Amino acid sequence: MFLRLTLSSAMLAAGLTTATAPAPAVVPAVVPAGGAPGSAHAAQAAPATCNPPYRIDKTLPNGARWRMCWEMRTIEGLTLTNVTYTPEGGEALRVLRSTALAQIHVPYDSGEPRFHDIGTIGDDAIALKAADCPGGERRDQYVCVTTRPRGHGYLKSDGEGVTSSVQGTDLVVFAAFQLGWYTYLVEWAFGDDGAITPRVGATGSLSGFTTTPQHGWPIGVGATKFEESHSHNIFWRLDFDIDGADGDVVEQYDFTGSGTAKRRLTRTVFTEETKAVNSRMRWWRVVDSGVRNADRHPASWEINNLASAEYRGPADEAFTRADLYVTNYRACERLASTNPVAGCGKSVDRYVADAQRLTDPVLWVHVGFHHVARDEDADPMPTHWQGFRVTPRDVTAENPH
Amino acid sequence: MRRARIMMALAGAGVTVVAGTFFLFPGEPGSQAARSVSRPPAPGDPLTGDEIAAAGKVASATWRTHMTNGQAELLYVERDDDKAAGERRRADVYIYDYRTDRLVVRTVDLAKGEVVAEQEERGVQPPPSRGEEIRAAELLLADPEYGPRIRDAHAKAGGRPLVSASDLGLRALSFTPGPRDTGAAACETHRCVRLFVRLPDGTWLDTSRIVVDLSAKKIFTLEW
Repeated sequence: MFLRLTLSSAMLAAGLTTATAPAPAVVPAVVPAGGAPGSAHAAQAAPATCNPPYRIDKTLPNGARWRMCWEMRTIEGLTLTNVTYTPEGGEALRVLRSTALAQIHVPYDSGEPRFHDIGTIGDDAIALKAADCPGGERRDQYVCVTTRPRGHGYLKSDGEGVTSSVQGTDLVVFAAFQLGWYTYLVEWAFGDDGAITPRVGATGSLSGFTTTPQHGWPIGVGATKFEESHSHNIFWRLDFDIDGADGDVVEQYDFTGSGTAKRRLTRTVFTEETKAVNSRMRWWRVVDSGVRNADRHPASWEINNLASAEYRGPADEAFTRADLYVTNYRACERLASTNPVAGCGKSVDRYVADAQRLTDPVLWVHVGFHHVARDEDADPMPTHWQGFRVTPRDVTAENPH
Repeated sequence: MRRARIMMALAGAGVTVVAGTFFLFPGEPGSQAARSVSRPPAPGDPLTGDEIAAAGKVASATWRTHMTNGQAELLYVERDDDKAAGERRRADVYIYDYRTDRLVVRTVDLAKGEVVAEQEERGVQPPPSRGEEIRAAELLLADPEYGPRIRDAHAKAGGRPLVSASDLGLRALSFTPGPRDTGAAACETHRCVRLFVRLPDGTWLDTSRIVVDLSAKKIFTLEW
């Protein structure tokens, strides 16, 4: 409880960083009535905006419910819309209006070639067999909706030899795409703890491009064939609409004090379109102060994006030079590079260049993976994954388990 | 099956369907066309095959001559998901004009059956359509240097003699030259693609240096 009070917006605005103030001092004035105990109150119910087989509605074993629609778009491929989370005993809360891949940029280490793999990837979706979708159901052959254990939700001992623990479960929605020699597994996991894990796995085959030793790794017998190293710089577009498009604000959190005993929390509110880079302990959140949990804290989802190779390309690929972009919603801004729409910007670094005031923020997350081939990558190449986490912060007042 | 249904819908609507790729809609497996359902689509459903056909017909009404003679192509139709449109069913129709190297995106309100918005720009390269992919491969096969090499590689990989470009496993990506891509300067404005060619034995030809200019119907070899 103290931790949550410390992080409440009133405290942060006042610049206080210690957790000694009594709760009433930081309770915001406006608290919507009618919220279920322990959960965020959502004024806006989640309508069914799609029919089967495009509607996904799954209640996980702990009672957490996720609803959304899927669509296989020609350019972006698998796209999820109207993603809504309902914690056990709580009310439905819209999280995302839409999310999809926004680019897979694949530059090779010798400098060439450099591919933008999106792509009419919707046309490259692989018809899945039952074995490709274990424990789940296939929708229109191309989308797998399944559940998967995610390990311990918690484990606690009472000190007397009695433990309590639960196992967590994810709802998983994925599709596979054949783009040249690569197979991309495009997946979103929706946890029974309210977390969202977007990730992409690359499998299939290596390109077979050979290069000099300084740009590759010897595969096959001896040291005559050097498979060229390359990056997969993947961009996701996430249009957060927490309880609708109004009221969403993006904040950045940093903890200063490297080399000192103390760490000090600092908050930066993004009021204009911007870009940001990763930093140790840095994270971002999308918060809607109009939505409060039972502790009267504003509901938010946090983005933690540290597990990236942080590829930075040449000047003509300026879109690679940040790890997070925040843009104001524009329907025509669809891809992070090679945007396919006339009369719009061509890449996400251009979208933010005019520093438009943020009223309906859209987040673009860039996670890179640098692939140095190894003998184990012989065909079929083992899957290598990259992605990030979107975790609830103060959506429920208690552990949602 | 899906494509056949769309083509029939077009023919039924009185549109001249010319043999070739002018009305090649995204009917391949995995495209966004929704399965045929008896009930009307919900706001968030993908476009149905009938909606894609109707949007294509409305949007291309003034383009038919250019499409028929190969000067323009309807690339694909996507559901318009603009928040401002609310729950209205709208479709974005992507048309490429090779005469002027412009991308034209026409937004069709499906209930009204009319174009409600149009954007166009030179130098924007949307992903290649299936039709463009095949035409690029045809140009490559017709090239005196690369054509025989591809046919030879195809035969060595155990394939039957190539009858048409569609016998190849194809994937195309749009190509815009970067500062390091010498030899394809025309692609600054022209419609250019790079092809991946999969052979019958599952291997891929290294075609990463080859660029096909669909506007000028030329082949370039990148020098790097």
